[in-house]
Amino acid sequence: MTWQLTTLDPRTKLIIVLCLSSLAVFCQNIYLLLLVLLLTLIVVKLTGGELGQLFSKFKKFIKVFLAVIVIQSIFTNEGQVLLQVMQIKLLTDVGLLRGLQTVLRFLIVIAAAVVMTTANSRDIIQGLIQWKVPYELAFMVTIAIRFLPLLQEEATDTLTALQLRGVNLKKIPILKRLRTYSYLLMPLLTSVLIKARDLSVAMEMRAFRAYPQRTSLRELHFARIDYFVIVLSMLLFQLLLWAALVLS
Amino acid sequence: MSLPIEVKDLSFQYEEGAAKILRHLDLSVAKGEIVGIVGLSGIGKSTLCFCLSGIIPHVYGGIMEGEVLLNGQSSRELSLPTIATTLGLVFQNPDHQLFAFNVEDELAFGPENLCVPRAEIARRIEEVLAIVGMQDYRHANPQQLSGGQRQLIAVAAVLCLQPEILIFDEAMSQIDAEGRAKLKAVMLRLKDQGKTMVMIDHDLDNLQIADRVLVLKEGRLFPYTGSLS
Ligand SMILES: Nc1ncnc2c1ncn2[C@@H]1O[C@H](COP(=O)(O)OP(=O)(O)OP(=O)(O)O)[C@@H](O)[C@H]1O
Ligand SMILES: [Mg+2]
Repeated sequence: MTWQLTTLDPRTKLIIVLCLSSLAVFCQNIYLLLLVLLLTLIVVKLTGGELGQLFSKFKKFIKVFLAVIVIQSIFTNEGQVLLQVMQIKLLTDVGLLRGLQTVLRFLIVIAAAVVMTTANSRDIIQGLIQWKVPYELAFMVTIAIRFLPLLQEEATDTLTALQLRGVNLKKIPILKRLRTYSYLLMPLLTSVLIKARDLSVAMEMRAFRAYPQRTSLRELHFARIDYFVIVLSMLLFQLLLWAALVLS
Repeated sequence: MSLPIEVKDLSFQYEEGAAKILRHLDLSVAKGEIVGIVGLSGIGKSTLCFCLSGIIPHVYGGIMEGEVLLNGQSSRELSLPTIATTLGLVFQNPDHQLFAFNVEDELAFGPENLCVPRAEIARRIEEVLAIVGMQDYRHANPQQLSGGQRQLIAVAAVLCLQPEILIFDEAMSQIDAEGRAKLKAVMLRLKDQGKTMVMIDHDLDNLQIADRVLVLKEGRLFPYTGSLS
């Protein structure tokens, strides 16, 4: 058995991600949360995710994390004050702890999501269908995954077009800027709605939903490594859950 | 026996007060027949395709009078997916009809909806890819193909459904001469199998294989006599 788990079944990855994110919710203890985060990072690495990209994502959230810690401190009336500006307790030890908890949970969920990006989205859909999720629902997810990037592209295009005409959004006062954005919203929304209509017509013209069932060219099969990984995840999940209960 | 396509006194306008695109149009297509339709830009050829395939009145609002009968059943009473089990439409714009992550999924989508067994789907995919000469692109992303290639894939996706009636809305406009020749040969073979086809094209050369050519003008169809207007 090699330690390259890049070819794991998407359903296995989904199970791992579910385990990790439930642990993020249930664990209170900082050390336990740190351990779960470490485990998540290991899983990301083993399933072929990009750790570097993940860390740069983390960096973007640093301000949010600091804000979370400060907010927790201000609104919890317990613990020792570590930093006070005038009457406002900017940092308390309890606040710091709670803030760190929240931040760690965030990090775990973000990292766990990266595991899913290592699976081909068509395979994820197929996994859902084989788990008896109605195919209409599964296809809605596919279409969303497919078209969100296009939408983003379109929005950037419109913004660029605006800037090319000499509108410098950064220099406009905020109220006016909001109004400019609202001008952009209408054409964007119209084009999205038209695209959505064309797409649903194209799908129905190829007999989508002609029958309550459909067959599938693709079929996923669990390999031995999948069973092994699932059992291992379940065991670790229970162990950590038990630890979380004991330590709380 | 009822005809595959029978249009009776069809009129259509996109909005009340807007121009009538189709006016009292009649058309009958027999089984195994290839009917070619020509017409100037913006005259209503695509609109006619939408009527033949039930997209009008099911999707577009507008005012439709008269009837389109498919194998004797009114298009008003059939849902689009039901129509699609017997009729395949290749849209004019390939961008509006491809949505899968790769060519293989794109081609499998239709037969999967018709509950065709897996092995048969795989066989059909191989067959249609060979027909349009795109075997090397089985795992390519449709969005990254050229316009002509996307059009070929759109045609292949419809062929994969093996419909009895095929409608091509300028399906060859972006395909090169070699591809066109291949496609025409395929159409003739499908005709031998008893399939019914309506093909719309700007280019009369593409309509050589048609049994008869009609001109769309002033909202109606006339036999082609050498001029479009
Ligand atoms: N969704 C719509 N709403 C309102 N008017 C429309 C709509 N689609 C088309 N039209 C109008 O209907 C007329 C016929 O359009 P249609 O697309 O059927 O022409 P066409 O013969 O297919 O043209 P082309 O050769 O360019 O493909 C045009 O004048 C067009 O402006
Ligand atoms: Mg047209």
